[in-house]
Amino acid sequence: MTQIYPGAGSGFVALDQVSIALPAGQFTAIMGKSGSGKSTLVNLIAGIDRPTRGEIRVGGTQVHELDESRLAAWRGRNVGVVFQFFQLLPTLTVAENVMLPMDFCATYSPAQARARAAQLLARVGIADQADKLPSALSGGQQQRAAIARALANDPPLIVADEPTGNLDSQTAESVLELLSDLTRAGKTVLVVTHERDMARVADRVVTLADGKVVAQTSRAQAAAATPEVAHG
Amino acid sequence: MASQRGGARATAREAVTGLVSPRWRKLSRDVWTQKGRTALMVTAIAVSLLGIGTVLGAYAILTREMARNYLGTHPASAALELSAGVDPSVVEEVRRRPGIAEAEAGDIVLARAKVGDDWRPLLLFVVDDFNAMRLNTFKPQSGAWPPPDGTMLIERTAASMLEATEGDSVMVKTPHGAPRAVPITGLVHDPGLAPAWQEREGYGYITRTTLAQLGEPPVLGELRITVRDNPLDLKAIEATAAELSQWLGVRGHSVLQVRVPPPGRHPHQTQMMGVLFLMLAFSAMALVLSAILVATSISAMLARQVREIGVMKTVGARTGQIAWMYGVLIALVGLAAVALALPASVGGARFLAAIVANMLNLRLESERIPWWVFAVGAASGVLVPLLVAAVPIARGSQVTVREAIDQYGVGPLASRGQWRSWVALPPWVSRTVLLAVRNAFRRRGRLALTLALLAAGGAMFMTALNVSRGWERIVDRVYENRSYDVEIRLNAPATVVERLRRLDGVRAVEVWGYAATALSRPGQVDVVRTYPDGSHGSLAMMGPPPETGLVRFPLLAGRWLRAGDTDAVVLNHMVLGQAPGITVGDRVTLSLGGRPTSWRVVGIVEEVGSPGVAYVTDEAFARAAGTEGRVRMLRIATRAGSPHERAEIIRAIERELEARQVSVESAIPLAVLHTAMGDHVVVLIRMLLAMALLMVTVGMLGLGSTMGINVIERTRELGVMKTIGAAPRQIGRLVVGEALFVGVLSWGVATALAVPLTAVVGKTVGMLSFRVRLPLVMDLAAVSGWLALVVIVSIAATALPARRASRLTVREALAQL
Repeated sequence: MTQIYPGAGSGFVALDQVSIALPAGQFTAIMGKSGSGKSTLVNLIAGIDRPTRGEIRVGGTQVHELDESRLAAWRGRNVGVVFQFFQLLPTLTVAENVMLPMDFCATYSPAQARARAAQLLARVGIADQADKLPSALSGGQQQRAAIARALANDPPLIVADEPTGNLDSQTAESVLELLSDLTRAGKTVLVVTHERDMARVADRVVTLADGKVVAQTSRAQAAAATPEVAHG
Repeated sequence: MASQRGGARATAREAVTGLVSPRWRKLSRDVWTQKGRTALMVTAIAVSLLGIGTVLGAYAILTREMARNYLGTHPASAALELSAGVDPSVVEEVRRRPGIAEAEAGDIVLARAKVGDDWRPLLLFVVDDFNAMRLNTFKPQSGAWPPPDGTMLIERTAASMLEATEGDSVMVKTPHGAPRAVPITGLVHDPGLAPAWQEREGYGYITRTTLAQLGEPPVLGELRITVRDNPLDLKAIEATAAELSQWLGVRGHSVLQVRVPPPGRHPHQTQMMGVLFLMLAFSAMALVLSAILVATSISAMLARQVREIGVMKTVGARTGQIAWMYGVLIALVGLAAVALALPASVGGARFLAAIVANMLNLRLESERIPWWVFAVGAASGVLVPLLVAAVPIARGSQVTVREAIDQYGVGPLASRGQWRSWVALPPWVSRTVLLAVRNAFRRRGRLALTLALLAAGGAMFMTALNVSRGWERIVDRVYENRSYDVEIRLNAPATVVERLRRLDGVRAVEVWGYAATALSRPGQVDVVRTYPDGSHGSLAMMGPPPETGLVRFPLLAGRWLRAGDTDAVVLNHMVLGQAPGITVGDRVTLSLGGRPTSWRVVGIVEEVGSPGVAYVTDEAFARAAGTEGRVRMLRIATRAGSPHERAEIIRAIERELEARQVSVESAIPLAVLHTAMGDHVVVLIRMLLAMALLMVTVGMLGLGSTMGINVIERTRELGVMKTIGAAPRQIGRLVVGEALFVGVLSWGVATALAVPLTAVVGKTVGMLSFRVRLPLVMDLAAVSGWLALVVIVSIAATALPARRASRLTVREALAQL
């Protein structure tokens, strides 16, 4: 894949001929410095952005071939996105935020959606916050709600861009655990981070620099390369 | 805290709204959190819809009632004036002729009625049999029916002119009779006539016997007909009337003149419908402006919610689903406006219809408003805003997730360098002013919409006031172009001039030739466009002294009369209305007493407030009409310094004429003409002012709304400014300054736009009412008034949000989207 953003001269090359295969059912962390292209990479995989050149295949779907509307529908059913700033809709209650994807994708009836939202919120541990507005929740609680929302349509792929970037370390820890738990339920989890801690829970770490993949390590290799993680 | 309260409220509302799915809950809460803005949108559309519903409803009522009223009088298609009167047997024969649907004899006599110390014109309608009227009928309203011999009925609108009503007596004098007290025994409603107060004359209805008692020969001079085929086709009517004239001529009944008024149309109908159309156009413009206001509000809402749209798309919302959400929102805003405006417009329509009915002397039998008015109102209230908002909705909902997420926190404030440098001000201008001006140009799309909204609103506001001022100016031309005080027409030629000249207070007396005339075509009977009231659509030939000092009409073409002119004629512009296409140099044939006379057109003048007149020199007139040395019309100027004094002098003139036993047909003070013209347009002027008010409402709502949006959108930026040291007062000045800049800029555009708009509207309404363009007047009060409004509303709309914004702590401001 190559992604070039318009800018001065020939444009800014965010991803330069990256070719990567992510195994299903694993927790993959994408690391790199600011501007290395890691966010661009997950955006392309999640169908949030389109590659300038190249192909993206998720499951059996040629994502790069979908038009905007099909892409939205595909994303709604197949990808759960978690943002750094949570991005819950401020005028909807937590439960309603979780029901929103089911509404747009017409995957569950309103009654079923309600029940499923309650179930998902219980799973992320904030069942008691269901009828509050997001602004009444702490950051960690909001991110849990966002994860519940990402799970709404039971997508096989969960993508999270700096999900702990806006949380204190203790809260970050629990959110991280929550994400890694998802792989046990058979989800493929893709997390962008610049925190090396993440490598501890990741099955696989992809490191980017200047739009290129500079390293790909499995859990064992990563442990060898970063002793402090092995200790922790 | 605040949001928790908001949440509780929102949850409480949920039960009410019953919108189940989350996306509709989001939408309803968005509306709820922006109640003020939503109310503004609803109000703007509702106000314009109120205008549309009112005008359209009144139009529907009036067209229906006009048919019931005016056409219900069975107006004659044509009236043929027979020199020897109409024999009842002729009527019977005419009725059986092919092409004739109905025939009847009747007559109208121009008499005078004494009101106080003055004589006023009184049209006496002579009816053969009140219980068997077939054409130009009218209905009893109260009192006797038919009027006993020696008494008269009067039209309901004539009571104020005669200052007498049922039960009173009025002194009446016919051309050949002596003054005689005639009791009023009842009132009638005659929808075929314009209201008496508007025409400044009385309408009376008498039997043939009464006519004889008043000193006139008891014959009916008019044969009235309706045609069988194409009763509303002028050409068919003229052809039938001409054929009938020939047929009558062969049988020895000479036809002096044929009068064919515009078929099926009340004398003031064209004018009223024109004004209603103008009002409709204004209301429709107001609706478009309101729709633009809705579009700006929606585009601002979309800009603020771009991140939320991105999130919704991330979780699977398709572009269509997003667009549908906001489309439904607009439709609901429209529906709310419809629900508010349409019931109110019923009252408005009835009110307006009543005003117009009063102007047309109609009686509204039913005030029912047909369903299509509501259908059009509802459809335009929902569809027009949807149509206009379609562009921002399409653009806003097509935003891709990445664009939406990228814009988070930064704001879509991209601006190009050339604009910055373009908006360069001299170095001595304070940085705050510079920043305010540049800020205004940052969102050029919004700026363009705001400017368009305000400029159009302002231009139409000014136009409404300019046109009404132009109208007043036209009415004042009655005085500007005429310097006589009274016009006296005599029933029979007399020689009285010298005596009148010696009267106290009389400054000048001019003798003018006067005769009714018609544009004649060789071998054909004269056809004029005169209505039964004898004035609307009539044509006269006048013979003033060429060097007359009593009138001076603006020349539209050619020249005024000169001494020594023999066959020269100057036409006033009303003649062109009756016979379009005549130009200077043409020869026209005018019939005088049934004889054709030939003239060369040397000039065309504009004469407001008069029927058609063909001016020839007094000498040429006397030769052509055979009236040398005898006087039919006098125009007299007085030395009066006050209306009261003038009335006294006119009375003295009348007494002198009476003493000389000179029979006066009419004596019309110029002030009466002025009043009559003013009365014709006063209601129309008020209607235009109502339209101006509509534009003010919509325009100011638009200004307030966009200014408010601008401040709210910049809350975050204002926070940044505070962090770098801006004082709250400076921020307030910046925001209000920007609003003022936009407001004043729009005012400039509006003023420039008002000039051509006033010209176009002034031409339209002027042509409809007086057949002249209205003078292009820029009403200073309108121009400065709009500026004042714009300044006040700009400050009011921004001061509060600016204060709120400047009071926010930096942290709060930065937390804002």
